[in-house]
Amino acid sequence: MFKNWIITKRNVFSLFEILFWPVVGFFSVGLLTSFLELDPDMSGFILVGIISMSVIQVCQIDVAYVLLYDLWSKSLKHTFIAPVHSFQLILGSWMIGMVRSFFVFVVLTLSSHFAFGFDFLRPGIGALTLFLLGLFVISLVVGIAVCTLVLLFGYKADVAAWSFSYLLSLLCGIYYPISILPSPLPEIAGYIPLTYFLEFFRTFYGFQGEATNLLGWGFGLTVLYLVLEAILFRAVLRRARRIGTLIKLSE
Amino acid sequence: MALAIFAEGIYKTFRSGWRGRKKQKEALKGVNLQIEEGEIFGILGPNGAGKTTLLSILSTLLLPDGGEIAILGMNGLRDGHRIRERVNISSGNANFLWSLTVKENLHFYGMLYGWVGKRREEKVEALVDLFSLGDYRNVPFDQLSTGMKQRLSLAKSMLNDPAILFLDEPTSGLDPSVSIHIREMIRSIQKEKGITVLLTTHNMKEAEFLCGRIAFLKEGQILATGTAEQLKRMVRVGDLIRIEFRGRVVEEDILRSEGVINFSVSGNVCEIMVDDGESRLGPLVATMAQGGAQIKRVTTEQTDLEKVFIEFAKNTDPDLGLCV
Repeated sequence: MFKNWIITKRNVFSLFEILFWPVVGFFSVGLLTSFLELDPDMSGFILVGIISMSVIQVCQIDVAYVLLYDLWSKSLKHTFIAPVHSFQLILGSWMIGMVRSFFVFVVLTLSSHFAFGFDFLRPGIGALTLFLLGLFVISLVVGIAVCTLVLLFGYKADVAAWSFSYLLSLLCGIYYPISILPSPLPEIAGYIPLTYFLEFFRTFYGFQGEATNLLGWGFGLTVLYLVLEAILFRAVLRRARRIGTLIKLSE
Repeated sequence: MALAIFAEGIYKTFRSGWRGRKKQKEALKGVNLQIEEGEIFGILGPNGAGKTTLLSILSTLLLPDGGEIAILGMNGLRDGHRIRERVNISSGNANFLWSLTVKENLHFYGMLYGWVGKRREEKVEALVDLFSLGDYRNVPFDQLSTGMKQRLSLAKSMLNDPAILFLDEPTSGLDPSVSIHIREMIRSIQKEKGITVLLTTHNMKEAEFLCGRIAFLKEGQILATGTAEQLKRMVRVGDLIRIEFRGRVVEEDILRSEGVINFSVSGNVCEIMVDDGESRLGPLVATMAQGGAQIKRVTTEQTDLEKVFIEFAKNTDPDLGLCV
């Protein structure tokens, strides 16, 4: 957490990460909805998607930074020779990720209210909190997946830190309902928790899907993936110690 | 004295290809090592000998393919987390988080070693003072000189007051004067704290200056282990004492003298090879004088470890790439 915080504080590009790209992306899409003269509910559908995407992108990259900063500094071995468990490092980074992405969320929801008249609080504080929590835990899942790939493939994998979230935007109904996706993509989307969290939040804006118990599915799948990732990450770390990845990536 | 490090039959082969089917390099071929607590032990060998691989295995960063390891009595293959609490590492060409300052880097790693609040602050300050990093405490890592980076690396390696310190080519890439300073720093810290140090180097002078015992490693195998003097004796390479004399010498007396490896006389010049020129000179001169020789001139030539290593490695590799 300390590492991510200090680097965020010092690095001017961090400001781009948490302000420039999300705000530019948000206004580009928001202005497009105005140009297309969409009705307020339809605009809301898309704005919920773009804000969710921005929150996930910022939060998951922080989780991935736990290894990426060490990878880029070639200091990986110093972290892994310390008596610290990987989950401690990851949870610390996730906490900073939640703080940074909550800031993004506040900036974008205020922008959506003042620029496009969108009411993000309509679902109520409870539903909003659950929705945000869902976005945060998905970010954790994505971030751990990136860390696993980094340990597996080294420098070749750091591009995954930015690619995964874009893949989610294609599959999970960020800009459109998943029902318009060609088969078998809707079925695949059904295995991604974000699909359920978005659907849950959009029900408060009049978009009632067919699925029920949306939060149960969303959180249930998330917990399942976290357990699987914990097992996989442990195995990949052991493999890294066996084949010398930690040493190679520190040279 | 208890053993700090015990390693028996350590094998390591690096493989490439998916699922590691393609054999790439046999880095270690059955290495045995026993290092006592409080010892400075050197692993000396040319580039590619397997030094870093061995050190990485002993420090739990790398898993061996086979063999037994005990670090401070703990199982080196099963008790990784517990071992990491008691050991630390510093490498030449050190790398840390580039944009963090000296102090921030120490704080970050201090957190990983469980230091909190005021105690961490005190620990970091103590290390900054110990390694004379005070003027650089707020300088980002990427703006430090190579020597300062190395000092930071040593400071970081002392964060958990390790019982065993692994030093991987600690003066690699440093200019001679900085290297000397770093070596003195290592020696004084080891003396002060009484920690066990396992050091890899391809620098003979460094090994001779710092290490009580040395192991020669070549192509993944330990060729010999011992003190510098023992190693010299093993290969019958030692310091040369050249004595010009008048009169006669009793060859048997000289050959019976302690520490004599070889002896020859040519005219009125006698050449004696001994394990340690400094300590053997006096008794040898006395022996010759007692035998009836009148000593005219004495010169000594010291043999360094390089010659010893070359003797060990003879007939196996003409290009050792050693640094003296």
